[in-house]
Amino acid sequence: MGDAFCSDCKRQTEVVFDHSAGDTVCSECGLVLESHSIDETSEWRTFANESGDNDPVRVGGPTNPLLADGGLSTVIAKPNGGSGEFLSSSLGRWQNRGSNPDRGLILAFKTIATMSDRLGLVATIKDRANEIYKRVEDQKSSRGRNQDALLAACLYIACRQEDKPRTVKEICSVANGATKKEIGRAKEYIVKQLGLETGQSVEMGTIHAGDFMRRFCSNLGMNNQAVKAAQEAVQKSEEFDIRRSPISIAAAVIYIITQLSEEKKPSLKDISGATGVAEGTIRNSYKDLHPHVLKIIPSWFAKEEDLKNLCSP
Amino acid sequence: MAARRNNPSGIVPTTQNIVSTVDLDCVLDLNHIALHSRNSEYFPKRFSAVIMRIKDPKTTALIFASGKMVCTGAKTEAQSKLAARKFARIIQKLGFPAKFRDFRIQNIVASCDVQFTIRLEKFACTSHGAFSTYEPELFPGLIYRMKQPKLVLLIFVSGNVVIAGAKKRDDFYTAFDNIYPVLAEFKK
Repeated sequence: MGDAFCSDCKRQTEVVFDHSAGDTVCSECGLVLESHSIDETSEWRTFANESGDNDPVRVGGPTNPLLADGGLSTVIAKPNGGSGEFLSSSLGRWQNRGSNPDRGLILAFKTIATMSDRLGLVATIKDRANEIYKRVEDQKSSRGRNQDALLAACLYIACRQEDKPRTVKEICSVANGATKKEIGRAKEYIVKQLGLETGQSVEMGTIHAGDFMRRFCSNLGMNNQAVKAAQEAVQKSEEFDIRRSPISIAAAVIYIITQLSEEKKPSLKDISGATGVAEGTIRNSYKDLHPHVLKIIPSWFAKEEDLKNLCSP
Repeated sequence: MAARRNNPSGIVPTTQNIVSTVDLDCVLDLNHIALHSRNSEYFPKRFSAVIMRIKDPKTTALIFASGKMVCTGAKTEAQSKLAARKFARIIQKLGFPAKFRDFRIQNIVASCDVQFTIRLEKFACTSHGAFSTYEPELFPGLIYRMKQPKLVLLIFVSGNVVIAGAKKRDDFYTAFDNIYPVLAEFKK
């Protein structure tokens, strides 16, 4: 029900909207003003006693600009369990034999999606990794390379470019079969390829211990004060000449902070599990940090006597 | 040797290893060589060359069936040539008509210490970042690929610098002269 201008009556009249036919009709003279109007209400209705098994969605995923045809193709799924219908499985085989330029890409995107799911990464990073992979694939020279390592390295670079770096060990843990060395080599290769393609525009800052602090601390369940103290400590530790990998320094700082706090102290094994740093390395990094501990730990967090009580390495 | 480059710091890189190749210009029977010399090893399944070592100069040579030879481990260019000649002499004594063709030095590795600690993260962030690779997770040193002369420098926090890929002594002297003022900027 509303008011609209009717061209027959030449004035504003009351207009009736007929939902069943999709018509807008003038109530005075019966002229149909608009027909075939598109219904914008929900696509389906859900009832309380209906089983939630069937997914009523009838549309596919969003268009993917990286794929050749925008992801418009349909794939015949393989029936899970016993393949009762011989017809459907052979149809699936026939489709796979057809020339599909994107098949490798789609498989790679799927692997990247699985890996980023395992790490809990946002869609932005996953899309960036897909983009990087496509750019590298466009240059045909990556045929014989270890695919797993290449995909893992794409994900690693994507995380770095979004300023949310993940340690190579973390990426290792979700990549099936790729070792730290292989991922490192693949990463160098990708950076070189991207540099060749776009003339040295690959922007990747060096990693700092502070980038990983939040994540490691929340994995160990430290409280907010401890997390803030740890972040400050790591900032200050960069001024001193400590020749250790930033991850090892981060782990050692977490160890010191947790030893100083009154709550339950995670053991070296727990810290080792959360950061990926070996226990021996944390002990050695602790030895390197210990001489500077007074200047690194913020004074509002721990007093001098506590620091003196810290076990000497 | 050529006159010492006048570097304000007075530091001169010292060679650590020289790799050179020479063509003996005759086909060799590697089995015969391996059997008749006491300082060689030959495992064709593993690698298709005889690995021979001499004590003075302390060097190792890879001798291939085509007659080509790679000589590694010498500390100076003269020693490398001398060692290559000694290896060729051994092959001659074993009965092959070995000659000494195209002796070429392929790679010189040199190292030095600039005596101060270096801030590598700052280095990688500046305009030299296009040539540097610094991944503390993967390797503790910064890998600097210099374009002119074309060689690779490994720069460490302690101040040690390793220069590799030079074909002539002058190359790595120039490279060190180029990199020293840049490093001095990033002194810790």
